[in-house]
Amino acid sequence: MPEIRVTPLGAGQDVGRSCILVSIGGKNVMLDCGMHMGFNDDRRFPDFSYITRNGRLTDFLDCVIISHFHLDHCGALPYFSEMVGYDGPIYMTHPTQAICPILLEDYRKIAVDKKGEANFFTSQMIKDCMKKVVAVHLHQTVQVDDELEIKAYYAGHVLGAAMFQIKVGSESVVYTGDYNMTPDRHLGAAWIDKCRPNLLITESTYATTIRDSKRCRERDFLKKVHEAVERGGKVLIPVFALGRAQELCILLETFWERMNLKAPIYFSTGLTEKANHYYKLFITWTNQKIRKTFVQRNMFEFKHIKAFDRAFADNPGPMVVFATPGMLHAGQSLQIFRKWAGNEKNMVIMPGYCVQGTVGHKILSGQRKLEMEGRQVLEVKMQVEYMSFSAHADAKGIMQLVGQAEPESVLLVHGEAKKMEFLKQKIEQEFRLLPDAKKPRLLHGTLIMKDSNFRLVSSEQALKELGLAEHQLRFTCRVHLHDPRKEQETAMRVYSHLKSVLKEHCVQHLPDGSVTVESILIQAAAHSEDPGTKVLLVSWTYQDEELGSHLTSLLKKGLPQAAS
Amino acid sequence: MDPECSQLLPALCSVLADPRQPVADDTCLEKLLDWFKTITEAGSSLLLLQENPCLLGLLCHVLKPQDLSPRVLSFSLRLAGMLAAQEDCFQYLQQGELLPRLFGEAGPLGGAAWTAPSVRSGWIQGLRSLARHPSALCFLADCGAVDTIFSLQGDSSLFVASAAGQLLVHILGLSLQGPAEGHPGLQTGDWPVCAQKIVSHIEESLRSAATPQITQALNVLTTTFGHCHDPWTQVLWGRLSPLVACLLEKDPVPAAHSLVDLLLSVARSPVLSSSSSGLWETLAQTLSHLSPTQAGPLALGILKLQECPQVLRAQAFAVLLQPLTCVLEATAQAPGLLDSLDGTGGASVTVDTLLPSKAACVGLLCRTLAHLELLQPLPQRPSPWPQAPLLGATVTILRLCSGSATPTSDAGGHLCAFLVGCVRVQRAALDFLGTLSQGTGPRELVTQVFAVLLEYLTSPDSSPTVLKKAFQATFRWLQSSPETPGCSDLDPHAHLFLRELLPVLPKRLCSPCWEVRDSGLEFLTQMIGRWGGQAGFRRALLASEVPELTEQLLRDPESYVRASAVAAMGQLSSQGLRVTPASPEHPGGQQKSLLAELLHILSTDSEGFPRRAVMHVFTQWLRDGHADVAGDTERFVARVLQVASQDLDWEVRAQGLELALVFLEQTLGRPSSHCPYAVTPPVAAPPSSLAQALRPLCRVQLFEFAFRALFDCDRPVAQKSCDLLLFLRAQTASYGGPQGSGSVPEVASVEAALQRWQAGDQGQPLGYLEPEVVVAVLRSMDLEGLRGALAESSDRVEKSPQSLLQDVLATVGALGEDEADCY
Repeated sequence: MPEIRVTPLGAGQDVGRSCILVSIGGKNVMLDCGMHMGFNDDRRFPDFSYITRNGRLTDFLDCVIISHFHLDHCGALPYFSEMVGYDGPIYMTHPTQAICPILLEDYRKIAVDKKGEANFFTSQMIKDCMKKVVAVHLHQTVQVDDELEIKAYYAGHVLGAAMFQIKVGSESVVYTGDYNMTPDRHLGAAWIDKCRPNLLITESTYATTIRDSKRCRERDFLKKVHEAVERGGKVLIPVFALGRAQELCILLETFWERMNLKAPIYFSTGLTEKANHYYKLFITWTNQKIRKTFVQRNMFEFKHIKAFDRAFADNPGPMVVFATPGMLHAGQSLQIFRKWAGNEKNMVIMPGYCVQGTVGHKILSGQRKLEMEGRQVLEVKMQVEYMSFSAHADAKGIMQLVGQAEPESVLLVHGEAKKMEFLKQKIEQEFRLLPDAKKPRLLHGTLIMKDSNFRLVSSEQALKELGLAEHQLRFTCRVHLHDPRKEQETAMRVYSHLKSVLKEHCVQHLPDGSVTVESILIQAAAHSEDPGTKVLLVSWTYQDEELGSHLTSLLKKGLPQAAS
Repeated sequence: MDPECSQLLPALCSVLADPRQPVADDTCLEKLLDWFKTITEAGSSLLLLQENPCLLGLLCHVLKPQDLSPRVLSFSLRLAGMLAAQEDCFQYLQQGELLPRLFGEAGPLGGAAWTAPSVRSGWIQGLRSLARHPSALCFLADCGAVDTIFSLQGDSSLFVASAAGQLLVHILGLSLQGPAEGHPGLQTGDWPVCAQKIVSHIEESLRSAATPQITQALNVLTTTFGHCHDPWTQVLWGRLSPLVACLLEKDPVPAAHSLVDLLLSVARSPVLSSSSSGLWETLAQTLSHLSPTQAGPLALGILKLQECPQVLRAQAFAVLLQPLTCVLEATAQAPGLLDSLDGTGGASVTVDTLLPSKAACVGLLCRTLAHLELLQPLPQRPSPWPQAPLLGATVTILRLCSGSATPTSDAGGHLCAFLVGCVRVQRAALDFLGTLSQGTGPRELVTQVFAVLLEYLTSPDSSPTVLKKAFQATFRWLQSSPETPGCSDLDPHAHLFLRELLPVLPKRLCSPCWEVRDSGLEFLTQMIGRWGGQAGFRRALLASEVPELTEQLLRDPESYVRASAVAAMGQLSSQGLRVTPASPEHPGGQQKSLLAELLHILSTDSEGFPRRAVMHVFTQWLRDGHADVAGDTERFVARVLQVASQDLDWEVRAQGLELALVFLEQTLGRPSSHCPYAVTPPVAAPPSSLAQALRPLCRVQLFEFAFRALFDCDRPVAQKSCDLLLFLRAQTASYGGPQGSGSVPEVASVEAALQRWQAGDQGQPLGYLEPEVVVAVLRSMDLEGLRGALAESSDRVEKSPQSLLQDVLATVGALGEDEADCY
């Protein structure tokens, strides 16, 4: 077995300040560099002393990888790079690179504004930190150096979220970050190929939960907002600038349009323009519905949602306001809350988690008399609702991912110890991660004959000992289809067709336009001579031989005619 | 403890003791412990226990066999340790045999809960707090805790293992506080049993064949000698140093990194370094035994020591320079350079042995360059400092990396193959090159430095991070260039370089990478700030496309670049360097449009960075009396304040107040200086009456902005406004005579508006205010009280212990599945 050392510097058996150090094949990689909002002192950042005592950070670490823009995964990055002194490369996806500084700036402003912290990273530091970032594309193999390579996979969860495969020689680790295995209103489901890593490090926030349908939660949310507005109340939705805010905006915008509602909806941050700009810019990262409708109408160009002005809070009549920050701990959202809290017709909807000490946490735990500054007591008469729109994989989703990636071992992080214990047993039962000779495998082992000795070793070990790289054989086939439409549209038709026919298999439409069914990859290309014909390039591995043949014969029969 | 908290405490304890009522998150328990720590540090723990018997109840309760969460058990262990830190409270807890039940074999130590790392960590931290007095030492010996700590040094949890090592250091120090302090000559055989046990354990570990055990022992010693400089450390080192020296005889040297740390810790200790006769020999021996990678940090540590034999320093410096010597040798540099760089004068190592593979070569060179960069500015750096060879080696490395060097030897060829295109080495070498600008060098080498910098700035292969460092190094070198005598201009040499550099800059300002455009603009801003007033630089800049391109970048899609362009344009304009091609000598024609353009950015840019940059430029312009501003200052201030006051970014509003303060100072005069020799810059003649003085401020509507800002939802804005108004009130007092005679209805209406704003209402603008009304309102306000309230952080109420207790109690059972989530 290769030696892979994993040291969680944060979010090992809890949530917050995600930071995991992985040592693989002599390389050291830091996965995420988050902060914990529950603390205001040193404890808010991961304990970097373990790394700093190994000499200069830049010499010790080969790279830092950030999975997505949430602060519990990137909030300590400027501190780490500009104050602790890491000067090496930082990898993240393009959307994360674009959005990360907005949230870091937001966080800095709150820390300085609310707590008056002087010894905090500055705007300049955020910028200098972002200059060290190398942005990566999905499925692009990035060579960090001659030996270390990384590859990003789609993770759902939030715009730009990615899972990363880290590979040194024949050893590899996959780190999921946060991910979601079910598509939501604006993002698709996480997907990874059968990369068979030595280790899969997966989040386990909902390790013991099978979550209810998100549609139900959305219906509930709309019903509550609608009722409040109908009775003439004002609805406050505290949010962080990016992420859930956009999802809820789409939800309300569509509902308002459908119901022909007139009550104004405002977004108060001033950041919405930029946030929405990024959702437009990175449209390929959103889900199929949004991409599809983008041609007719951009979902992020809102008709009903307008910029908020502070004076609007005093306007009579119903309204819905999205305001930052999301935990009601400072700034605009808190100001509006104080103004509206006394009226029972009004409502506040908390769409996310709130840390202890924030007003959001207090009202969610049922406290109705809040002591404010100057010993004033604020009586909360407004309705308080909690709607979780959290986008993590549940137990079923985690199992699904383990099944997709087929790792040798699984390491659970970013969750609670007790729940992890339960999930551990489930994974062991279901996948029998320990070698099992009875389980059919493509290759059980390799017999090495050397120095008059015979040894039976794992195939990975054999590759390592002999210094060979793994080759993967893929069957390929070309299927000609008569279809005058553009290649993307043909691929879309192929996807819809296969989705309806192969219900028991995982059919995916990737952001680059290709379609996958398990390990089978289908790409549509134009015919060099006949513009009315498209060529489907199909390839599959030995393991999926049967399915591959079945699928090609299906495609050869042609696609069903689209309803006009 | 205040009565409210005392009332809530029993409920809290029963919640914690009830396994059916899980506490929401660890942060609450951590914060509770913070609170108990404050209380026990400020007063008697015994009293706390007696006044709050529920605490004792909790500690007893957690010992009962039950399905208690590990986090509550860990919390209780830490709390018990904290309370027992005071000897009387320790005795009180001992009476009930509570401590042995918590920390002894019968406690969690022997139970299933011990498998949870948080419980083991709580156990260690509890003992760490408890070990403060002699009774605690006896307790530790009696309950066999020390043996458990030994085993925890190798714990699977890194944090538990590290804490166990720290605890051993603490116990050793505590046990020797009394006996050995009084008798410095006391040998280890006469030390207390507890200390002897720890020393024997360390000895055993040092003799072990297992590297992890050796590492643990070395780490314990490093921490001990780093924190404690009592005479007993001398005795301890005397006993253990032969064992440490034995480690050097092994091949490879085990736990080399920890060994280096220990030896440096000993060398830094004033007690040990002065007395330990064999120390310098051991250090010298270690330097020669370790691999170049391992020896580097030791060599740097030796060179940083204040007192150290010269021979050892020379050896250390030679070790540090070895890789660079190797580079120079391999690339066949002049032998003179080699001699002065390699202090050993011979026995030079070859590339094959020192830099055998790409990974080793890159790693070692980066480390060496970083070590030298740290050493260069120190007063104790080796003297003479081989500036010229170091410059030569760094330039050579940079050329090898860029592929422009053409080594003739095989070794040079190998190096070239390793280094070409290596961004890591390029970054390290450019950083070091920048640091070397602090010293001088032969003209020929400086020419080479500028040439290699230009090569990097020009090369299309330079990555954005490398370019940024190349810009920084370039600025440092230009800054250090000797100025032409008498005219404070750049020296002709640097001038020549500048002429070549300026055509490169436009290419960088047009780069598709925002990082490069931004670094280029930052560099430009620095250059203008430094040489904007000098004729040669001005001519060269004006002849280039740079000013025009900079202006175009005001509309860059990336907000960081727009902000940097605003700063650069502000500088260009201040120095009269903003020109149009048609009228290079009369830039005034376009100046107004820049003001308009910046105002446009301030009112329309969707990002905070460019708007903040504009405010910074405007404030600087007002301060410097920029031509555009000086023409009609009042109109300028009024417009800027009007836009800034509407901004959603509180930092822009705060900067608006900064600008208002500058205007205020210019109108009323600066705060009086107490220094009789202070040079007072010329200011406008003070207005004869207060009303006359305040009128311009009223006309620009400064007061409405400041009064509104006083109740801003963002605290720094309110603070700044409060300071501004307090300054204003102090200034008005200096005018004397009848003040604040505004008509009563007007004053009342302003005061009513202030109350509305305080309540969070926006209301109608006040419009023009008469100076008398302003003064009257200022007088009636409790600005000092407001300043006091604003000085406290706005979450102080939520952070209070009472709020914490309420939150923990309220949360029980209230949060469902989403008790933890990302943000």
